[in-house]
Amino acid sequence: MQKYEKLEKIGEGTYGTVFKAKNKETHEIVALKRVRLDDDDEGVPSSALREICLLKELKHKNIVRLYDVLHSEKKLTLVFEHCDQDLKKYFDSLNGEIDLDVVKSFMYQLLRGLAFCHSHNVLHRDLKPQNLLINKNGELKLADFGLARAFGIPVKCYSAEVVTLWYRPPDVLFGAKLYTTSIDMWSAGCIFAELANSGRPLFPGSDVDDQLKRIFKLLGTPNEDTWPGVTQLPDYKPLPVYQPSLGLAQVVPRLPARGRDLLARLLTCNPALRMPADEAMAHAYFHDLNPSVKNDRC
Amino acid sequence: MAGNFWQSSHQQQWILDKQDLIRDRQYDLTGLTEDEYQKILSFFSGIIQVLGEQLKLRQQVIATATVYFKRFYAKNSLKCIDPLLLAPTCVFLASKVEEFGVISNSRLITTCQNVIKSKFSYAYGQQEFPYRTNHILECEFYLLENLDCCLIVYQPYRPLLVFIQDIGQDDQLLTYAWKIVNDSLRTDVSLLYAPFQIAIACLNIACVMLGKENILKSWFAELNTDMDKIQEIVRTVINLYEMWKSYDEKKEIQALLMKMPKPKPAPQR
Repeated sequence: MQKYEKLEKIGEGTYGTVFKAKNKETHEIVALKRVRLDDDDEGVPSSALREICLLKELKHKNIVRLYDVLHSEKKLTLVFEHCDQDLKKYFDSLNGEIDLDVVKSFMYQLLRGLAFCHSHNVLHRDLKPQNLLINKNGELKLADFGLARAFGIPVKCYSAEVVTLWYRPPDVLFGAKLYTTSIDMWSAGCIFAELANSGRPLFPGSDVDDQLKRIFKLLGTPNEDTWPGVTQLPDYKPLPVYQPSLGLAQVVPRLPARGRDLLARLLTCNPALRMPADEAMAHAYFHDLNPSVKNDRC
Repeated sequence: MAGNFWQSSHQQQWILDKQDLIRDRQYDLTGLTEDEYQKILSFFSGIIQVLGEQLKLRQQVIATATVYFKRFYAKNSLKCIDPLLLAPTCVFLASKVEEFGVISNSRLITTCQNVIKSKFSYAYGQQEFPYRTNHILECEFYLLENLDCCLIVYQPYRPLLVFIQDIGQDDQLLTYAWKIVNDSLRTDVSLLYAPFQIAIACLNIACVMLGKENILKSWFAELNTDMDKIQEIVRTVINLYEMWKSYDEKKEIQALLMKMPKPKPAPQR
């Protein structure tokens, strides 16, 4: 710990306090995440272990880097690459509307990070603006893998309540237990709309019912025809039948037609039909993406 | 994590070189012969297996715990941490990483006490299991550090299932090969070779044992892999079986444990 000088508290993560700190030798700025070991029985918390072991395997430009793990008396400190702010704070600092090129760049980087996770069979499961870090070069990085998990066999019941309500897909809201990469793609869609609206959340539901109603008011209430199997989900309940009334044009007025098409493919209630990350990256919306964003090697 | 072994920490950091491994064990091998050293490690792998079974863990979790154990002693002398403490700590950590759910520490300690008394009295006599929760939690830190936080371990079981399917479903062959993979955990192969290579080698041995040489001729002939490596693994596992024929752990382990380098000072109760 002597290696780092603590500068200020940045926030509270899933399992501990996060500090900004400086490496005394290299003067590099890092983020220190202190892992509380308050539960005498569990030892190093599983959420911290998950984050450590996944980040150890996932090295990519759009995923926050874990530099080091420090052990000291009864304490574990994770040393992360430092980013200036998260997407939530970025929204708060906006003066007026967001630049649409920035929307495109952030969205592409989010998808690229996700495609990498998914190709390594890792689900993030907790995507939200607070977990997307932005640095001053306009790079976006996925962070907070405390709820992430590697999915391989056996694909059994993951706990149902993992994603912050606003970014939760309808299948999870209906209690689906077998979720796959599609869970992250829904969240990415919600974040896409939020980006395009300069930080106004798309579906700020207050509880599960309210969340579902907000989704279905926009997209229409699913039924066995549009989503075979929906009525068989564990927590399925019949909800008012809404027709897909509002067009996306009214919801994300600043987004061009191609962007709205991509958004519609991500915000697809039936998880089997939701577009995966690698396909989304190839979508026509990104054809005129700034080449410096696209070509960046990790 | 499926399918990305090639970019994994397992492949990049933890496929060790045989010469390095021998060199790193030099300290322990001044007081013990190579053979004795292997018998001691095999004994503790056995403890991990029994502990895992008692705790009803999946074989994948048990295998991961065993690999942690081996990785630790690949880099450290037996005197750094008493293997009797490290073994349950590996089980504890592996069960969290493999998302089996956390085993409560008190249950782990109780299981250790029972297992040592009921199944390993031939090694420990009337001695009680001397460690408590605080020892395990402290040890977990050292283990994490020495593993360099590389916690995701690939195992031969999954490639084995894929190969069996490719050959044409054969339950008898699978059962044999699976058991041989379990036995291979008693050797160094998980430190030296890729899991898919271990799976191929164990299949190879199973085919020979079952007299299914026709599979050997057809399926193995088409494999595009380094057959020298496969043969090395086969020899290592066969050597283990040869050793077991003439070795009675129940009679000999006490003397070996006496000779084993020990941590100083002895653990506090």
